[in-house]
Amino acid sequence: MHKNRGVKFALTCALLFVLALAMLLPMVQTFLYSFSSIEDMKAYMKTRGNYDDEVWMDSRLSPNMFSLGQYYQILITDNTVLHLFVNSVVYTLLILLGQALIIPAMAFALSKFRFPGRDGLFFIVILLMLLPFQVTMVPNVLTLRTMGLLNTRWSVVLPMWFAPFYIFLVRQFMVSLPGELIEASSIDGAGTVRTYVNIILPVCRPILGAAAALSFADCWNLVEQPLTYLTQADALQPLSTMFNQLAKENTGFEFAGAALYILPALFVYMFFQEDILSGIQLTEMK
Amino acid sequence: MYTRKRYVLPFLLPGLAGILVFYIVPFIGGIWYSVTDGSYRNAFVGMQNYLNVWQNPMFRLGLGNTMFLSLICAPLLWLFSFVLSLLLNRIRPAGGFFRSSVLLPYLMPSSAVLIIWLLWFDFGGPVNRLLTALGLERVVWLEGTALRLPIILMFLWKNLGFCVVIFVAALQAIPEPLYEYATLEGATFRQQAFRITLPLIIPSAFLVFILAWINAFKIFKEVYFIGGAYPDEPVYTLQNYMNNMYAKLNYQNVTTAAYSFAVIVFALFGLLFFLQKRAQRGLN
Repeated sequence: MHKNRGVKFALTCALLFVLALAMLLPMVQTFLYSFSSIEDMKAYMKTRGNYDDEVWMDSRLSPNMFSLGQYYQILITDNTVLHLFVNSVVYTLLILLGQALIIPAMAFALSKFRFPGRDGLFFIVILLMLLPFQVTMVPNVLTLRTMGLLNTRWSVVLPMWFAPFYIFLVRQFMVSLPGELIEASSIDGAGTVRTYVNIILPVCRPILGAAAALSFADCWNLVEQPLTYLTQADALQPLSTMFNQLAKENTGFEFAGAALYILPALFVYMFFQEDILSGIQLTEMK
Repeated sequence: MYTRKRYVLPFLLPGLAGILVFYIVPFIGGIWYSVTDGSYRNAFVGMQNYLNVWQNPMFRLGLGNTMFLSLICAPLLWLFSFVLSLLLNRIRPAGGFFRSSVLLPYLMPSSAVLIIWLLWFDFGGPVNRLLTALGLERVVWLEGTALRLPIILMFLWKNLGFCVVIFVAALQAIPEPLYEYATLEGATFRQQAFRITLPLIIPSAFLVFILAWINAFKIFKEVYFIGGAYPDEPVYTLQNYMNNMYAKLNYQNVTTAAYSFAVIVFALFGLLFFLQKRAQRGLN
Protein backbone atom coordinates (compact mmCIF):
# COMPACT_ATOMS: atom_id res chain seq x y z
CA MET A 1 0.00 0.00 0.00
CA HIS A 2 2.77 2.40 0.89
CA LYS A 3 4.62 1.58 -2.31
CA ASN A 4 1.47 2.31 -4.27
CA ARG A 5 1.33 5.80 -2.80
CA GLY A 6 4.93 6.41 -3.79
CA VAL A 7 4.17 5.54 -7.40
CA LYS A 8 1.13 7.80 -7.41
CA PHE A 9 3.18 10.61 -5.94
CA ALA A 10 5.85 10.26 -8.61
CA LEU A 11 3.25 10.08 -11.38
CA THR A 12 1.49 13.23 -10.17
CA CYS A 13 4.80 15.07 -9.95
CA ALA A 14 5.75 13.98 -13.45
CA LEU A 15 2.37 14.98 -14.89
CA LEU A 16 2.46 18.44 -13.35
CA PHE A 17 6.10 18.90 -14.41
CA VAL A 18 5.33 18.08 -18.04
CA LEU A 19 2.27 20.33 -17.99
CA ALA A 20 4.30 23.20 -16.58
CA LEU A 21 6.88 22.74 -19.33
CA ALA A 22 4.13 22.78 -21.95
CA MET A 23 2.74 26.00 -20.49
CA LEU A 24 6.13 27.67 -20.66
CA LEU A 25 6.84 26.50 -24.19
CA PRO A 26 5.31 29.48 -26.06
CA MET A 27 7.58 31.90 -24.21
CA VAL A 28 10.65 29.69 -24.57
CA GLN A 29 10.05 29.28 -28.28
CA THR A 30 9.58 33.03 -28.74
CA PHE A 31 12.92 33.75 -27.12
CA LEU A 32 14.70 31.03 -29.10
CA TYR A 33 13.27 32.23 -32.41
CA SER A 34 14.22 35.80 -31.61
CA PHE A 35 17.87 34.84 -32.04
CA SER A 36 17.44 33.73 -35.60
CA SER A 37 18.50 36.03 -38.42
CA ILE A 38 15.92 38.18 -40.18
CA GLU A 39 16.30 36.51 -43.59
CA ASP A 40 16.03 33.10 -42.01
CA MET A 41 12.86 34.03 -40.14
CA LYS A 42 11.28 35.66 -43.20
CA ALA A 43 11.89 32.53 -45.23
CA TYR A 44 10.56 30.33 -42.45
CA MET A 45 7.39 32.36 -41.90
CA LYS A 46 6.69 32.24 -45.64
CA THR A 47 6.28 28.48 -45.44
CA ARG A 48 3.11 29.03 -43.40
CA GLY A 49 -0.36 28.78 -44.89
CA ASN A 50 0.53 26.14 -47.47
CA TYR A 51 -2.46 23.86 -47.91
CA ASP A 52 -0.67 21.28 -50.04
CA ASP A 53 -1.11 17.87 -48.43
CA GLU A 54 2.47 16.88 -49.23
CA VAL A 55 4.15 19.94 -47.76
CA TRP A 56 5.15 20.45 -44.14
CA MET A 57 6.77 23.30 -42.29
CA ASP A 58 10.11 22.62 -40.69
CA SER A 59 9.64 21.78 -37.04
CA ARG A 60 12.39 23.52 -35.22
CA LEU A 61 12.80 24.62 -31.67
CA SER A 62 15.94 26.72 -32.00
CA PRO A 63 17.38 28.85 -34.80
CA ASN A 64 19.73 27.33 -37.39
CA MET A 65 22.25 30.00 -36.69
CA PHE A 66 22.57 32.37 -33.76
CA SER A 67 22.08 36.00 -34.74
CA LEU A 68 21.26 39.28 -33.04
CA GLY A 69 19.98 40.72 -36.33
CA GLN A 70 16.36 40.96 -35.20
CA TYR A 71 17.30 42.84 -32.05
CA TYR A 72 19.61 45.14 -33.99
CA GLN A 73 16.71 45.91 -36.30
CA ILE A 74 14.09 46.75 -33.63
CA LEU A 75 16.40 48.49 -31.17
CA ILE A 76 18.69 50.46 -33.46
CA THR A 77 17.76 50.56 -37.14
CA ASP A 78 13.98 50.91 -37.03
CA ASN A 79 12.30 52.37 -33.98
CA THR A 80 8.63 51.54 -34.73
CA VAL A 81 8.48 48.77 -32.16
CA LEU A 82 10.44 50.79 -29.64
CA HIS A 83 8.06 53.72 -30.03
CA LEU A 84 5.01 51.49 -29.42
CA PHE A 85 6.81 49.88 -26.51
CA VAL A 86 7.39 53.27 -24.89
CA ASN A 87 3.70 54.09 -25.39
CA SER A 88 2.74 50.90 -23.58
CA VAL A 89 5.13 51.69 -20.74
CA VAL A 90 3.67 55.19 -20.37
CA TYR A 91 0.09 53.85 -20.24
CA THR A 92 1.00 51.19 -17.74
CA LEU A 93 2.87 53.57 -15.44
CA LEU A 94 0.15 56.24 -15.53
CA ILE A 95 -2.60 53.70 -14.85
CA LEU A 96 -0.77 51.93 -12.03
CA LEU A 97 0.16 55.22 -10.37
CA GLY A 98 -3.42 56.46 -10.36
CA GLN A 99 -4.70 53.12 -9.15
CA ALA A 100 -2.18 53.11 -6.30
CA LEU A 101 -3.55 56.44 -5.09
CA ILE A 102 -7.24 55.71 -5.50
CA ILE A 103 -7.98 52.01 -5.15
CA PRO A 104 -6.53 51.16 -1.70
CA ALA A 105 -8.09 54.33 -0.24
CA MET A 106 -11.50 53.41 -1.65
CA ALA A 107 -11.09 49.85 -0.38
CA PHE A 108 -10.18 51.21 3.05
CA ALA A 109 -13.31 53.35 3.09
CA LEU A 110 -15.46 50.39 2.06
CA SER A 111 -14.03 48.02 4.66
CA LYS A 112 -13.06 49.90 7.80
CA PHE A 113 -15.59 52.72 7.98
CA ARG A 114 -19.23 52.58 8.83
CA PHE A 115 -21.37 55.02 6.87
CA PRO A 116 -24.83 54.91 5.33
CA GLY A 117 -24.93 53.32 1.88
CA ARG A 118 -21.63 51.51 2.29
CA ASP A 119 -22.93 48.04 1.54
CA GLY A 120 -25.05 49.34 -1.31
CA LEU A 121 -21.99 50.98 -2.82
CA PHE A 122 -19.96 47.81 -2.51
CA PHE A 123 -22.76 45.88 -4.19
CA ILE A 124 -22.65 48.35 -7.08
CA VAL A 125 -18.88 47.82 -7.35
CA ILE A 126 -19.49 44.08 -7.68
CA LEU A 127 -22.12 44.64 -10.36
CA LEU A 128 -19.81 46.95 -12.28
CA MET A 129 -17.11 44.29 -12.10
CA LEU A 130 -19.37 41.91 -14.02
CA LEU A 131 -20.23 44.50 -16.66
CA PRO A 132 -18.76 44.11 -20.15
CA PHE A 133 -16.68 47.06 -21.34
CA GLN A 134 -19.10 47.87 -24.18
CA VAL A 135 -21.98 48.72 -21.83
CA THR A 136 -20.40 51.97 -20.71
CA MET A 137 -18.38 52.47 -23.89
CA VAL A 138 -20.59 54.86 -25.86
CA PRO A 139 -21.56 57.16 -22.96
CA ASN A 140 -17.89 57.22 -21.96
CA VAL A 141 -16.86 58.36 -25.43
CA LEU A 142 -19.28 61.28 -25.05
CA THR A 143 -18.03 62.15 -21.57
CA LEU A 144 -14.42 62.02 -22.70
CA ARG A 145 -15.18 64.11 -25.78
CA THR A 146 -16.91 66.74 -23.64
CA MET A 147 -13.90 66.83 -21.35
CA GLY A 148 -11.69 67.21 -24.43
CA LEU A 149 -9.84 64.01 -23.63
CA LEU A 150 -10.88 61.80 -26.53
CA ASN A 151 -7.91 60.80 -28.69
CA THR A 152 -5.48 61.70 -25.91
CA ARG A 153 -3.64 59.37 -23.54
CA TRP A 154 -5.96 60.27 -20.69
CA SER A 155 -9.00 58.74 -22.38
CA VAL A 156 -7.40 55.33 -21.91
CA VAL A 157 -5.82 56.07 -18.54
CA LEU A 158 -8.56 57.80 -16.52
CA PRO A 159 -11.36 55.18 -16.58
CA MET A 160 -8.83 52.48 -15.66
CA TRP A 161 -7.98 54.26 -12.40
CA PHE A 162 -11.30 53.18 -10.95
CA ALA A 163 -11.33 49.55 -12.16
CA PRO A 164 -13.97 47.86 -9.95
CA PHE A 165 -12.25 44.45 -9.87
CA TYR A 166 -9.24 45.77 -7.95
CA ILE A 167 -11.42 47.71 -5.51
CA PHE A 168 -13.18 44.42 -4.84
CA LEU A 169 -9.93 42.47 -4.46
CA VAL A 170 -8.24 44.89 -2.05
CA ARG A 171 -11.45 45.45 -0.07
CA GLN A 172 -11.84 41.72 0.49
CA PHE A 173 -8.35 41.60 1.96
CA MET A 174 -8.89 44.61 4.21
CA VAL A 175 -12.16 43.24 5.58
CA SER A 176 -10.30 40.28 7.05
CA LEU A 177 -7.80 42.51 8.90
CA PRO A 178 -8.52 42.43 12.65
CA GLY A 179 -10.29 45.49 14.08
CA GLU A 180 -7.76 45.60 16.93
CA LEU A 181 -5.24 46.95 14.46
CA ILE A 182 -7.24 50.14 14.11
CA GLU A 183 -8.27 50.34 17.77
CA ALA A 184 -4.67 50.06 18.91
CA SER A 185 -3.53 52.79 16.58
CA SER A 186 -6.45 55.03 17.60
CA ILE A 187 -5.52 54.60 21.26
CA ASP A 188 -1.99 55.57 20.40
CA GLY A 189 -3.41 58.78 18.98
CA ALA A 190 -3.01 58.17 15.26
CA GLY A 191 -5.68 59.71 13.00
CA THR A 192 -7.27 57.92 10.07
CA VAL A 193 -4.71 59.12 7.55
CA ARG A 194 -1.74 58.07 9.68
CA THR A 195 -3.31 54.72 10.43
CA TYR A 196 -3.92 54.20 6.73
CA VAL A 197 -0.40 55.14 5.65
CA ASN A 198 1.60 53.63 8.49
CA ILE A 199 -0.43 50.57 9.42
CA ILE A 200 -2.99 49.52 6.84
CA LEU A 201 -0.90 49.94 3.68
CA PRO A 202 2.17 48.05 5.01
CA VAL A 203 -0.01 45.21 6.28
CA CYS A 204 -1.72 45.00 2.88
CA ARG A 205 1.54 44.59 0.98
CA PRO A 206 0.76 41.11 -0.40
CA ILE A 207 -2.62 42.03 -1.87
CA LEU A 208 -1.34 45.36 -3.18
CA GLY A 209 1.48 43.49 -4.91
CA ALA A 210 -0.96 40.95 -6.30
CA ALA A 211 -3.35 43.66 -7.50
CA ALA A 212 -0.48 45.58 -9.09
CA ALA A 213 0.73 42.51 -10.97
CA LEU A 214 -2.76 41.58 -12.17
CA SER A 215 -3.49 45.15 -13.16
CA PHE A 216 -0.18 45.27 -15.00
CA ALA A 217 -1.37 42.28 -17.01
CA ASP A 218 -4.47 44.29 -18.00
CA CYS A 219 -2.54 47.44 -18.89
CA TRP A 220 0.07 45.57 -20.88
CA ASN A 221 -2.66 43.88 -22.89
CA LEU A 222 -5.04 46.82 -23.48
CA VAL A 223 -7.00 46.34 -26.69
CA GLU A 224 -10.62 47.49 -26.47
CA GLN A 225 -9.93 50.89 -24.89
CA PRO A 226 -7.32 52.17 -27.38
CA LEU A 227 -9.40 50.82 -30.26
CA THR A 228 -12.44 52.89 -29.19
CA TYR A 229 -10.91 55.96 -27.54
CA LEU A 230 -7.94 56.53 -29.86
CA THR A 231 -9.51 56.09 -33.30
CA GLN A 232 -7.87 59.28 -34.58
CA ALA A 233 -4.57 59.09 -32.73
CA ASP A 234 -2.47 56.35 -34.29
CA ALA A 235 0.72 57.76 -32.80
CA LEU A 236 -0.65 57.06 -29.32
CA GLN A 237 -1.53 53.40 -29.89
CA PRO A 238 0.21 50.97 -27.55
CA LEU A 239 2.06 47.83 -28.55
CA SER A 240 -0.94 45.67 -27.63
CA THR A 241 -3.09 46.90 -30.52
CA MET A 242 -0.34 47.34 -33.11
CA PHE A 243 1.96 44.39 -32.57
CA ASN A 244 -0.29 41.98 -34.39
CA GLN A 245 -0.20 44.14 -37.50
CA LEU A 246 3.59 44.21 -37.44
CA ALA A 247 3.67 40.45 -37.12
CA LYS A 248 1.33 40.04 -40.08
CA GLU A 249 3.58 42.07 -42.37
CA ASN A 250 6.21 39.33 -42.18
CA THR A 251 8.98 41.69 -41.21
CA GLY A 252 11.29 38.95 -40.01
CA PHE A 253 11.81 40.60 -36.63
CA GLU A 254 8.46 39.70 -35.10
CA PHE A 255 9.98 37.30 -32.60
CA ALA A 256 12.47 39.80 -31.23
CA GLY A 257 9.53 42.19 -30.96
CA ALA A 258 7.50 39.59 -29.10
CA ALA A 259 10.45 38.83 -26.83
CA LEU A 260 10.84 42.51 -26.01
CA TYR A 261 7.11 42.70 -25.38
CA ILE A 262 7.11 39.67 -23.07
CA LEU A 263 10.21 40.62 -21.09
CA PRO A 264 8.68 43.28 -18.77
CA ALA A 265 5.80 40.93 -17.98
CA LEU A 266 8.35 38.30 -17.05
CA PHE A 267 10.14 40.67 -14.67
CA VAL A 268 6.90 41.83 -13.08
CA TYR A 269 5.90 38.23 -12.57
CA MET A 270 9.17 37.24 -10.97
CA PHE A 271 9.09 40.27 -8.70
CA PHE A 272 5.48 39.88 -7.51
CA GLN A 273 5.07 36.13 -7.65
CA GLU A 274 5.18 35.58 -3.89
CA ASP A 275 2.77 38.47 -3.33
CA ILE A 276 0.23 37.03 -5.73
CA LEU A 277 0.29 33.64 -4.03
CA SER A 278 0.15 34.92 -0.45
CA GLY A 279 -2.13 37.85 -1.30
CA ILE A 280 -4.79 35.60 -2.77
CA GLN A 281 -4.35 33.10 0.02
CA LEU A 282 -4.98 35.67 2.75
CA THR A 283 -7.94 37.28 1.02
CA GLU A 284 -11.43 36.44 2.08
CA MET A 285 -12.87 35.06 -1.15
CA LYS A 286 -16.59 35.21 -0.70
CA MET B 1 -14.13 50.22 12.54
CA TYR B 2 -14.41 54.00 12.18
CA THR B 3 -17.86 55.48 12.63
CA ARG B 4 -17.25 59.22 12.31
CA LYS B 5 -18.67 59.93 8.86
CA ARG B 6 -16.56 63.00 8.24
CA TYR B 7 -13.32 61.01 8.25
CA VAL B 8 -14.32 58.68 5.46
CA LEU B 9 -14.58 61.47 2.88
CA PRO B 10 -10.91 61.87 1.91
CA PHE B 11 -10.67 58.13 1.27
CA LEU B 12 -13.99 57.69 -0.40
CA LEU B 13 -14.47 60.80 -2.53
CA PRO B 14 -11.79 60.42 -5.23
CA GLY B 15 -12.78 56.85 -5.98
CA LEU B 16 -16.48 57.55 -5.74
CA ALA B 17 -16.23 60.53 -8.09
CA GLY B 18 -14.40 58.47 -10.69
CA ILE B 19 -16.80 55.56 -10.43
CA LEU B 20 -19.71 57.96 -10.82
CA VAL B 21 -18.24 59.72 -13.85
CA PHE B 22 -16.86 56.72 -15.70
CA TYR B 23 -19.17 53.88 -14.65
CA ILE B 24 -22.44 54.76 -12.95
CA VAL B 25 -23.47 57.84 -14.96
CA PRO B 26 -22.54 56.18 -18.29
CA PHE B 27 -24.47 53.12 -17.20
CA ILE B 28 -27.60 55.17 -16.59
CA GLY B 29 -26.97 57.40 -19.61
CA GLY B 30 -26.67 54.30 -21.73
CA ILE B 31 -30.22 53.28 -20.90
CA TRP B 32 -31.39 56.58 -22.40
CA TYR B 33 -29.39 55.79 -25.54
CA SER B 34 -30.96 52.41 -25.97
CA VAL B 35 -34.52 53.80 -25.99
CA THR B 36 -34.05 56.81 -28.29
CA ASP B 37 -33.60 56.89 -32.05
CA GLY B 38 -30.37 58.90 -32.31
CA SER B 39 -31.75 61.35 -34.85
CA TYR B 40 -31.37 65.11 -34.39
CA ARG B 41 -34.59 65.18 -32.35
CA ASN B 42 -33.49 62.11 -30.40
CA ALA B 43 -37.07 60.92 -30.06
CA PHE B 44 -38.14 58.33 -27.54
CA VAL B 45 -38.81 55.03 -29.30
CA GLY B 46 -39.45 52.66 -26.41
CA MET B 47 -38.31 49.13 -27.04
CA GLN B 48 -37.92 49.60 -30.82
CA ASN B 49 -34.10 49.46 -30.70
CA TYR B 50 -34.26 46.23 -28.74
CA LEU B 51 -36.63 44.73 -31.28
CA ASN B 52 -34.36 45.77 -34.14
CA VAL B 53 -31.18 44.50 -32.53
CA TRP B 54 -32.70 41.20 -31.50
CA GLN B 55 -33.90 40.65 -35.07
CA ASN B 56 -30.45 41.41 -36.48
CA PRO B 57 -28.83 38.16 -37.65
CA MET B 58 -25.30 39.36 -36.86
CA PHE B 59 -26.28 40.23 -33.29
CA ARG B 60 -27.81 36.79 -32.85
CA LEU B 61 -24.75 35.16 -34.36
CA GLY B 62 -22.43 37.09 -32.06
CA LEU B 63 -24.53 36.46 -28.96
CA GLY B 64 -24.83 32.78 -29.80
CA ASN B 65 -21.08 32.41 -30.31
CA THR B 66 -20.20 34.32 -27.16
CA MET B 67 -22.61 32.17 -25.15
CA PHE B 68 -21.37 28.98 -26.78
CA LEU B 69 -17.69 29.79 -26.24
CA SER B 70 -18.21 30.82 -22.63
CA LEU B 71 -20.35 27.76 -21.90
CA ILE B 72 -17.46 25.59 -23.04
CA CYS B 73 -14.62 27.65 -21.65
CA ALA B 74 -15.86 28.45 -18.15
CA PRO B 75 -16.77 24.89 -17.02
CA LEU B 76 -13.63 23.44 -18.65
CA LEU B 77 -11.44 26.01 -16.97
CA TRP B 78 -13.15 25.41 -13.65
CA LEU B 79 -12.77 21.64 -13.87
CA PHE B 80 -9.13 21.71 -15.00
CA SER B 81 -8.08 24.14 -12.34
CA PHE B 82 -9.94 22.20 -9.65
CA VAL B 83 -8.34 18.87 -10.58
CA LEU B 84 -4.89 20.38 -11.02
CA SER B 85 -5.00 22.13 -7.67
CA LEU B 86 -6.11 18.89 -5.99
CA LEU B 87 -3.15 17.11 -7.56
CA LEU B 88 -0.88 19.96 -6.55
CA ASN B 89 -2.24 19.84 -3.02
CA ARG B 90 -1.63 16.13 -2.79
CA ILE B 91 2.07 16.36 -3.53
CA ARG B 92 2.60 19.42 -1.35
CA PRO B 93 5.23 20.74 -0.62
CA ALA B 94 6.64 19.42 -3.90
CA GLY B 95 5.37 20.94 -7.17
CA GLY B 96 7.02 24.33 -6.77
CA PHE B 97 7.97 24.44 -10.43
CA PHE B 98 4.36 23.96 -11.51
CA ARG B 99 3.10 26.46 -8.98
CA SER B 100 5.52 29.10 -10.18
CA SER B 101 4.98 28.62 -13.90
CA VAL B 102 1.22 28.13 -14.04
CA LEU B 103 0.39 31.78 -13.43
CA LEU B 104 2.91 33.21 -15.88
CA PRO B 105 0.65 32.99 -18.95
CA TYR B 106 -1.89 35.26 -17.22
CA LEU B 107 0.56 38.14 -17.57
CA MET B 108 1.51 37.41 -21.15
CA PRO B 109 0.16 39.84 -23.76
CA SER B 110 -2.18 38.10 -26.22
CA SER B 111 -0.70 39.46 -29.42
CA ALA B 112 2.87 38.43 -28.55
CA VAL B 113 1.86 34.85 -27.82
CA LEU B 114 -0.44 34.64 -30.79
CA ILE B 115 2.35 34.38 -33.35
CA ILE B 116 3.49 31.13 -31.76
CA TRP B 117 -0.10 29.92 -31.67
CA LEU B 118 -0.53 30.63 -35.38
CA LEU B 119 2.66 28.68 -36.10
CA TRP B 120 1.56 25.67 -34.07
CA PHE B 121 -1.86 25.48 -35.65
CA ASP B 122 -0.70 26.10 -39.20
CA PHE B 123 -1.74 23.49 -41.75
CA GLY B 124 1.85 22.31 -41.95
CA GLY B 125 2.60 22.99 -38.29
CA PRO B 126 3.40 20.88 -35.22
CA VAL B 127 -0.20 20.23 -34.15
CA ASN B 128 -1.06 18.67 -37.48
CA ARG B 129 2.21 16.72 -37.45
CA LEU B 130 1.14 15.30 -34.13
CA LEU B 131 -2.27 14.39 -35.53
CA THR B 132 -0.79 12.56 -38.54
CA ALA B 133 1.67 10.80 -36.23
CA LEU B 134 -1.38 9.53 -34.35
CA GLY B 135 -2.82 8.34 -37.64
CA LEU B 136 -5.39 11.12 -38.03
CA GLU B 137 -6.15 13.53 -40.86
CA ARG B 138 -4.72 17.03 -41.00
CA VAL B 139 -7.12 19.80 -40.00
CA VAL B 140 -7.37 23.38 -41.29
CA TRP B 141 -7.29 24.94 -37.83
CA LEU B 142 -7.21 28.61 -38.72
CA GLU B 143 -10.53 28.79 -40.57
CA GLY B 144 -14.16 28.11 -39.84
CA THR B 145 -15.42 26.07 -36.92
CA ALA B 146 -12.02 24.49 -36.22
CA LEU B 147 -10.70 27.92 -35.26
CA ARG B 148 -12.70 27.66 -32.07
CA LEU B 149 -10.26 25.10 -30.70
CA PRO B 150 -7.07 27.21 -30.81
CA ILE B 151 -9.04 30.09 -29.28
CA ILE B 152 -10.44 27.94 -26.48
CA LEU B 153 -6.99 26.46 -25.80
CA MET B 154 -5.44 29.90 -25.62
CA PHE B 155 -8.12 31.00 -23.18
CA LEU B 156 -7.47 27.97 -20.97
CA TRP B 157 -3.71 28.44 -21.17
CA LYS B 158 -3.98 32.08 -20.14
CA ASN B 159 -6.51 31.77 -17.34
CA LEU B 160 -5.65 28.45 -15.75
CA GLY B 161 -3.05 29.86 -13.36
CA PHE B 162 -5.24 32.43 -11.68
CA CYS B 163 -7.94 29.86 -10.97
CA VAL B 164 -5.42 27.33 -9.68
CA VAL B 165 -4.00 29.94 -7.30
CA ILE B 166 -7.44 30.66 -5.80
CA PHE B 167 -8.20 26.95 -5.44
CA VAL B 168 -4.82 26.15 -3.89
CA ALA B 169 -5.30 28.93 -1.36
CA ALA B 170 -8.66 27.47 -0.35
CA LEU B 171 -7.36 23.90 -0.23
CA GLN B 172 -4.56 24.76 2.16
CA ALA B 173 -7.12 25.72 4.78
CA ILE B 174 -8.59 22.20 4.91
CA PRO B 175 -7.18 20.13 7.79
CA GLU B 176 -5.07 17.17 6.64
CA PRO B 177 -6.53 14.54 9.08
CA LEU B 178 -9.83 14.73 7.23
CA TYR B 179 -8.20 13.12 4.19
CA GLU B 180 -6.26 10.59 6.23
CA TYR B 181 -9.47 9.44 7.79
CA ALA B 182 -11.22 9.29 4.41
CA THR B 183 -8.35 7.27 2.94
CA LEU B 184 -8.51 4.83 5.86
CA GLU B 185 -12.22 4.45 5.20
CA GLY B 186 -11.37 3.59 1.60
CA ALA B 187 -12.59 6.74 -0.16
CA THR B 188 -11.20 7.12 -3.68
CA PHE B 189 -9.58 10.29 -5.05
CA ARG B 190 -12.77 11.25 -6.84
CA GLN B 191 -14.95 10.64 -3.82
CA GLN B 192 -12.64 12.72 -1.67
CA ALA B 193 -12.62 15.50 -4.24
CA PHE B 194 -16.38 15.85 -4.59
CA ARG B 195 -17.63 14.70 -1.16
CA ILE B 196 -15.06 16.29 1.14
CA THR B 197 -13.09 18.97 -0.64
CA LEU B 198 -15.69 20.66 -2.80
CA PRO B 199 -18.30 21.24 -0.07
CA LEU B 200 -15.60 22.78 2.13
CA ILE B 201 -14.47 25.28 -0.47
CA ILE B 202 -17.79 26.29 -2.03
CA PRO B 203 -17.20 30.06 -1.73
CA SER B 204 -13.86 29.84 -3.55
CA ALA B 205 -15.19 27.37 -6.08
CA PHE B 206 -18.03 29.77 -6.77
CA LEU B 207 -15.68 32.71 -7.13
CA VAL B 208 -13.48 30.78 -9.58
CA PHE B 209 -16.52 29.92 -11.65
CA ILE B 210 -17.67 33.54 -11.74
CA LEU B 211 -14.23 34.85 -12.67
CA ALA B 212 -13.85 32.13 -15.30
CA TRP B 213 -17.17 33.12 -16.76
CA ILE B 214 -16.51 36.86 -16.71
CA ASN B 215 -13.28 36.28 -18.58
CA ALA B 216 -14.89 33.83 -20.98
CA PHE B 217 -17.51 36.45 -21.86
CA LYS B 218 -14.67 38.77 -22.75
CA ILE B 219 -13.02 36.49 -25.30
CA PHE B 220 -12.42 38.98 -28.06
CA LYS B 221 -8.78 39.99 -28.26
CA GLU B 222 -7.60 36.72 -29.75
CA VAL B 223 -10.50 36.60 -32.21
CA TYR B 224 -9.84 40.17 -33.22
CA PHE B 225 -6.14 39.53 -33.73
CA ILE B 226 -6.71 36.43 -35.85
CA GLY B 227 -9.74 37.51 -37.86
CA GLY B 228 -9.88 41.30 -37.61
CA ALA B 229 -13.24 43.03 -37.36
CA TYR B 230 -15.03 40.42 -39.47
CA PRO B 231 -13.72 36.96 -38.53
CA ASP B 232 -15.21 33.70 -39.78
CA GLU B 233 -18.80 33.19 -38.65
CA PRO B 234 -18.14 30.44 -36.07
CA VAL B 235 -15.97 32.81 -34.02
CA TYR B 236 -17.79 36.11 -34.65
CA THR B 237 -18.37 37.27 -31.08
CA LEU B 238 -20.79 39.79 -29.63
CA GLN B 239 -17.85 42.15 -29.07
CA ASN B 240 -17.16 42.04 -32.81
CA TYR B 241 -20.73 43.09 -33.45
CA MET B 242 -20.63 45.92 -30.92
CA ASN B 243 -17.27 47.24 -32.09
CA ASN B 244 -18.39 47.16 -35.72
CA MET B 245 -21.57 49.03 -34.86
CA TYR B 246 -19.40 51.56 -33.04
CA ALA B 247 -17.18 51.96 -36.10
CA LYS B 248 -20.34 52.65 -38.13
CA LEU B 249 -21.32 55.30 -35.58
CA ASN B 250 -24.49 53.36 -34.84
CA TYR B 251 -24.37 54.17 -31.12
CA GLN B 252 -27.96 53.07 -30.55
CA ASN B 253 -27.21 49.53 -31.63
CA VAL B 254 -23.98 49.31 -29.63
CA THR B 255 -25.69 50.34 -26.45
CA THR B 256 -28.81 48.29 -27.01
CA ALA B 257 -26.74 45.18 -27.72
CA ALA B 258 -24.56 45.89 -24.68
CA TYR B 259 -27.58 46.27 -22.41
CA SER B 260 -29.21 43.14 -23.73
CA PHE B 261 -25.99 41.33 -22.94
CA ALA B 262 -25.67 42.94 -19.50
CA VAL B 263 -29.19 41.85 -18.58
CA ILE B 264 -28.36 38.27 -19.58
CA VAL B 265 -25.09 38.38 -17.62
CA PHE B 266 -26.77 39.76 -14.49
CA ALA B 267 -29.58 37.22 -14.72
CA LEU B 268 -27.09 34.36 -15.04
CA PHE B 269 -24.93 35.53 -12.16
CA GLY B 270 -27.98 36.22 -10.03
CA LEU B 271 -29.13 32.67 -10.63
CA LEU B 272 -25.67 31.28 -9.83
CA PHE B 273 -25.51 33.33 -6.66
CA PHE B 274 -28.90 32.04 -5.59
CA LEU B 275 -27.84 28.44 -6.27
CA GLN B 276 -24.63 28.91 -4.30
CA LYS B 277 -26.52 30.27 -1.29
CA ARG B 278 -28.85 27.32 -1.44
CA ALA B 279 -26.03 24.81 -1.78
CA GLN B 280 -24.33 26.30 1.24
CA ARG B 281 -27.46 26.31 3.33
CA GLY B 282 -28.09 22.72 2.32
CA LEU B 283 -24.71 21.76 3.75
CA ASN B 284 -25.21 23.54 7.04
